[in-house]
Amino acid sequence: MSHAHTEDQAQSAPHSHKKHYLIIAAILTVVTGIELGIPFLKNVPSIWVPFQPVWVPLLLLLSVGKFGAVVGEFMHLRQDRSIFKILFISPLALALLCLTTVTLMSIVHFEPFGKGYAATAVDLRNGYTPPSDGPKCDPPLPDDQFKAAYAKAEGAGFETGKKIFGEKCVACHGPAGGGMPNLGLNLTDTCYKYGGTFKDLYQTVALGRADGRMPSQAAALKSEEIRQVAYFVRSLRGKNVPGGQPCVGEPAKD
Amino acid sequence: MSAPTAELLEAAPDHGHHQTVENNFLGLPNIKLAMWAFLGSECMFFGSLIGTYFFYHDHSLGGPLPQDVFSLNITSISTFLLLTSSLTMALAVDSMKQNRFPPAVKYILTTAALGAAFVGFQIYEFSEFVLEKHLTPQTSLFGSTFFIMTGFHGAHVTVGVIWLLMMAALISKKKLVPGREATNVEVMGLYWHFVDIVWIVIFTFVYLLEFIK
Ligand code: HEC
Repeated sequence: MSHAHTEDQAQSAPHSHKKHYLIIAAILTVVTGIELGIPFLKNVPSIWVPFQPVWVPLLLLLSVGKFGAVVGEFMHLRQDRSIFKILFISPLALALLCLTTVTLMSIVHFEPFGKGYAATAVDLRNGYTPPSDGPKCDPPLPDDQFKAAYAKAEGAGFETGKKIFGEKCVACHGPAGGGMPNLGLNLTDTCYKYGGTFKDLYQTVALGRADGRMPSQAAALKSEEIRQVAYFVRSLRGKNVPGGQPCVGEPAKD
Repeated sequence: MSAPTAELLEAAPDHGHHQTVENNFLGLPNIKLAMWAFLGSECMFFGSLIGTYFFYHDHSLGGPLPQDVFSLNITSISTFLLLTSSLTMALAVDSMKQNRFPPAVKYILTTAALGAAFVGFQIYEFSEFVLEKHLTPQTSLFGSTFFIMTGFHGAHVTVGVIWLLMMAALISKKKLVPGREATNVEVMGLYWHFVDIVWIVIFTFVYLLEFIK
């Protein structure tokens, strides 16, 4: 359809790249179609499951390809002067570096003090021996009974919650959750300052209390992890570990 | 600085027929150089918005979560609209380079229409999120980072549509400096394609990934 020299003022005009652009657009459409098809493969477990690790990288690869096609061909950076390439690609590389770092940070929890806390927790837990005479109130349930009770609600989350507690909470609430003087409250008694229902505990952990003396975990933990650690805290009720801090607040109502 | 050498001019592609463009010492049109520099900075701008979204979107204290609000149908239509608009934009630049102005204006107007349709879908999506699904920028970290990121992208598309319409009018009324028309449209095309690639990234990383988790 396009003939370079049919129009009025066209003299030294370059020839048309229309066909080239149409081909690029067709490829982009097909690739987008493939991308859109991937989520639907979920309905075909025989394909979805065995190739599970492939889908995310495949999507990323396809979108990088589309990105390159538009920049390289539609914006013809591929054939343009290198000064344009430098101007565009160096900030792009910076942006990618920043994106990768941030993504890694959100996968691997970035916590400069996390490791230290975890180590202390393990050391202290190893040195901890249960009391021989036993506490006065509800006898603490052995871990496996808690696990069974909470597995119903959270599945494997209980173990994760325990691990998170070991990393993030023991510094103030003590290695066994009994609290520390002037730091965290005893979480193993049967009374609570801010309520002991699961929802209360979730909010305490998520939002923080007492102007941040109990720090909010919203930025450090995902909602799922807050749920898990809240379940774990709930499981501590009545364990009454020795050396625990005195009761503060009201007896739990649930 | 030294005047452009013949060698530099020869090395510059797409320059045969409009040397009247204000070239700099490299023999390159200044506005094109400026646009690429601007787009480089836009990479960092959108990179930080997308990075912020990534970091915070699953740290929300409550719903609605991405899976509750995203619709693959609307997003795919928007995606195809923007992809097609990139094609018509490329064809407009192609026509301009051959001094075929009437078809170029047609392509530019088509591009503007597709872009406007994209914005329309985004307005529909946003109002659905806010009114029916109760997700606002104040609701959660997901809400804040999502609306900021996609909102800025939508604003870029809107600016592009206005630019396209103005350009179409200027070309039709022959108000552009003779000899510079093609470069003007080419630079606008760079901006438009950039807006498209930002959407390519958002579409895959923000929307599609949510559906294959
Ligand atoms: C920096 C020290 C600190 C850390 C770390 C900390 N807490 Fe606390 N926490 C406190 C303080 C202090 C209080 C009591 C606030 C008050 O007295 O009002 C508290 C209170 C609580 C309460 C409320 C108890 C009640 O009686 O209502 C819960 C539940 C709790 N923390 C759970 C956790 C969990 C789970 C973690 C780990 C994710 C954690 N805390 C980490 C200091 C801390």
